[in-house]
Amino acid sequence: MEGTRALEQIGQTSLASTPSGLPPSRPVRWSLARKVSLALVSILLSTLLLAGFFAYYKFESVYSSLVQSRYSFVVFTIKKQVEDSLNLGLALRQIRQVQDILEREKMRDPQVMSVEVYDFRGEVLFDTDRGAIGSKAPPPLIEALSGSATQAFGITDEDALIVGLPLINNLGKVEGGVVLRYPSAYIEHGISGLLLQLGKGIAFQLAVFSVLAVAGLYLLFGRVGRKLDAMQATLDAVITVGGRAEPGPGADPFEERFAEFVAKSHEAVEHIRDATAEVGRLDRLQ
Amino acid sequence: MTLDSTRPLFIRLLLLAFMVLVPPVGLLAHGALEEFAQGLVPEMDKKGETVGRDLTASIERAIGHGIPLTGLYGMDDFFSPVLSANPEIRYLSVTDHEGRVLFLNGAAREMLEPFYTVTDFEVESRRSHKSIIGDFIDLTQPLRGKVGVVGHLHVGIDQNYVRGRLLEIAVDIAVVTLVSLLVAVEILLFVVTFNVTGPMRVVGMVIDKTRRGDFSSACGAGADDEVGRFVHRFNAAIRYADDLFRRLEAYMDEVKSAHFDKSVVEQVGNIESRVRFLFRFSRSGKPEVINEHQATDIRLPLFLFVFAEEISRSFMPLYVRDLYAPIPGLSTEMVIALPIAVFMMFIAAVSPSAALAASRKGSRQVFLMGLFPATIGFFMSAVAYNVYDFIVWRAVTAIGYALVTMACQSYIAQVSHQQKRAQSLGVYVGAVLTASICGTGIGGVLAERMGYRATFIIAALLAVVAGLLIYRLMGSAQPRTEFQTPRKRQLLALLRNWRFSALVLFAAIPSKIALTGFFFFLVPLTLLQDVSTDLGDVARIMMLYPIAVVLLSPLAARLADQTGWKAGLVAIGGLIGGAGLLLPLYSSDLDTLTLAIVMLGVSHGLSASPQLAMIPDLCWTECRNMGQTNVLAFLRLAERVGSVIGPLLAAAFIPLYGYGGAIIALGVVVMSMSAVFALLSFAYGSGPHIEAELSE
Repeated sequence: MEGTRALEQIGQTSLASTPSGLPPSRPVRWSLARKVSLALVSILLSTLLLAGFFAYYKFESVYSSLVQSRYSFVVFTIKKQVEDSLNLGLALRQIRQVQDILEREKMRDPQVMSVEVYDFRGEVLFDTDRGAIGSKAPPPLIEALSGSATQAFGITDEDALIVGLPLINNLGKVEGGVVLRYPSAYIEHGISGLLLQLGKGIAFQLAVFSVLAVAGLYLLFGRVGRKLDAMQATLDAVITVGGRAEPGPGADPFEERFAEFVAKSHEAVEHIRDATAEVGRLDRLQ
Repeated sequence: MTLDSTRPLFIRLLLLAFMVLVPPVGLLAHGALEEFAQGLVPEMDKKGETVGRDLTASIERAIGHGIPLTGLYGMDDFFSPVLSANPEIRYLSVTDHEGRVLFLNGAAREMLEPFYTVTDFEVESRRSHKSIIGDFIDLTQPLRGKVGVVGHLHVGIDQNYVRGRLLEIAVDIAVVTLVSLLVAVEILLFVVTFNVTGPMRVVGMVIDKTRRGDFSSACGAGADDEVGRFVHRFNAAIRYADDLFRRLEAYMDEVKSAHFDKSVVEQVGNIESRVRFLFRFSRSGKPEVINEHQATDIRLPLFLFVFAEEISRSFMPLYVRDLYAPIPGLSTEMVIALPIAVFMMFIAAVSPSAALAASRKGSRQVFLMGLFPATIGFFMSAVAYNVYDFIVWRAVTAIGYALVTMACQSYIAQVSHQQKRAQSLGVYVGAVLTASICGTGIGGVLAERMGYRATFIIAALLAVVAGLLIYRLMGSAQPRTEFQTPRKRQLLALLRNWRFSALVLFAAIPSKIALTGFFFFLVPLTLLQDVSTDLGDVARIMMLYPIAVVLLSPLAARLADQTGWKAGLVAIGGLIGGAGLLLPLYSSDLDTLTLAIVMLGVSHGLSASPQLAMIPDLCWTECRNMGQTNVLAFLRLAERVGSVIGPLLAAAFIPLYGYGGAIIALGVVVMSMSAVFALLSFAYGSGPHIEAELSE
């Protein structure tokens, strides 16, 4: 206890028995260690959440773009095959093998929900879900046809993600489009492992390092508190009981100055009491 | 550990913060990256298989038409578009049955063929065979002809692609950790000074008075912690002595006025004189409360506020580009540059009035006054409809920014002693630069994930938090000083000092042109020209500027003090900054631009402190006549001309020379002006210049 050693009360004086006028000590409601622990643990929590947030979204972004690029390649393959036939002068709705191509691609990958080809007006001409043939494609798919001829477009549709490309004949005219739907749950499933890992990691690291932070802070501020308690106890004792404050060998300059303060305060109190007693004695003289 | 000194306690806390923040984030990142790699590799394999399957089908169709595998033509053209559209696939090759490479695109034959010729792929099944060759994952699929397997198609996936993505996450997390550490530093510094060293320093001041027998002062009320309890007890001791004295005083007054014996009255008078000679008590009837104000009081709110402003640094021109609406007579680039220029112009216009207001109304009130327009500005910037209203909201934000920053500077100037003023202003510069690192770094990453508008909302929230801190923690009774308003004649006299004018014109202004024209305006636009660069990359690269300034500023300040070679350092700084902007002459790649940003940081790190330190010597007479603070304020005001010109000049260059050319053109301007200053610096000499006074 460096602080306690550093400042000790030595001896007693004639006024030792005089009651002190010092009020009772104020209770500590929020200790320094508790305050700083709260700040540090909050920073730790924010850091872990932010790091986890960035890691998760980066992974989500890379993973979904990788999946999208795989399905874009499938769509691109279909587009090439359909456009080869278009370039032979066939009308889109007349290319009967398109239905086989679409069904073959869907069979290859169980994650594919559907593949469809629609014309520039939005009428579905071929679809792996044969019941949908003849229906109208949603407006966003028709709007997407005006985009890049080689860059796949991506659209979200309720529980499905859609990737597609426009079909263009050799005159550069957009004949329609080909789109592939795959479940958004596929992406969610792919990244759920990371989410779980991050959740567990954050909880574990927070628990372990919060304990470490609190322990470290109690150790650090415990010393500060003990030093202050020792100085306060010396002050109380010297003022109430008497004696003098003597800084110990490990005392820092602040404690040395404080010891002088205690001595001066005690001197003042003693002097004023003596003076009061003297005035009283003079007052009683008749 | 001395209780009234911040450093020992703060260093211990900092070490603890480092131990508590860095390892958990590192462990979290490690776990996440492993999971990331595990999740990504199967998807990459699927992609490789899909590509391989399609290519295999095409090649098998050709073989099916009777073309031998060795006789296939145009395979390079067949592979090239696939490779360019799929960056994670590094090579495609076709080998014959013996593993000899027939066609290859994207890798060296010598690297692959030795592996292929000795490997039995055993790929009679339809599934592909996976091997690791150096940095590649080789997915092999059989090519079947009428007679069975005639060769193999190899799809080479780049393992570095996964590593690259992992590195991106690691860098993101490193940025978060750095920012968290810096925020922790600010918060812990605040906690330590506000709760421990600040109150204990006041205790120390009162102790020093009491040691001399002066019991006229007590400390301000402490918090409800150990320090607060100690302060309460400490004050109780002083009040106890004061109370005893008051009672004695009353008793003596009573005896002196009522006692019939003159000798008793005389003796009591002697006692009173003795007590009053030995001890001093307050004349007001109770000890006066001392509340010491420190420069660090304002550091955390200032940090948060500048953080809020800097959060949009890396994407400001990009956001303006999204909000673009034509303004008649102005090019697109000029419209994009306009909000930055208007922001700077309003800061310059409002700053002098803000300084005056801070001296009259007190820093706390002006800080809170400034937060109002700033928060509205941030919030409305988030919901801006187009560039027209955005310019208005940036102007509103600038008014707030000027009020807040001038309130902080004024507060620091008021609470710091003359000898410690430079040290206290270091608190301001430190908070601004740390906030700049944090804001720039985290802003870009946040905008990338959440969008520009959401990031502006976060800026508004940070400004509100800064306001709450000021409102809750700074007492309404603020120290005030009389503000010495310089007359216009004095300012003109300052401009007649050729050394000062040259410093403004050829050092301070070009430095700001480079900062706002190049760093604020051109860097985000130019970096995003490269499709492989995202907003997070822009932010991370831009972070290098404040980091360089933070690292070099203290060294430059020390060097300037030790050598006295201030003008030389300013000149070298200017030339380095100019040379950095000329780097695109040699190469326009990302690394060159990054180096240019670092050189700008080095330039400003070298020249900023010596530039200010030169003023007392250069303007010795003017500092005496109108005050050093006013001379420095005028320098800051004058250099804002460069801040306004910078983005407009850069925008004017873009249609003429393109983005790279605009940087070079700006570099020519900055370099020319810096070269003039470098030449003039030889005539600056050293020590105070008092010619002006002698000539008067």
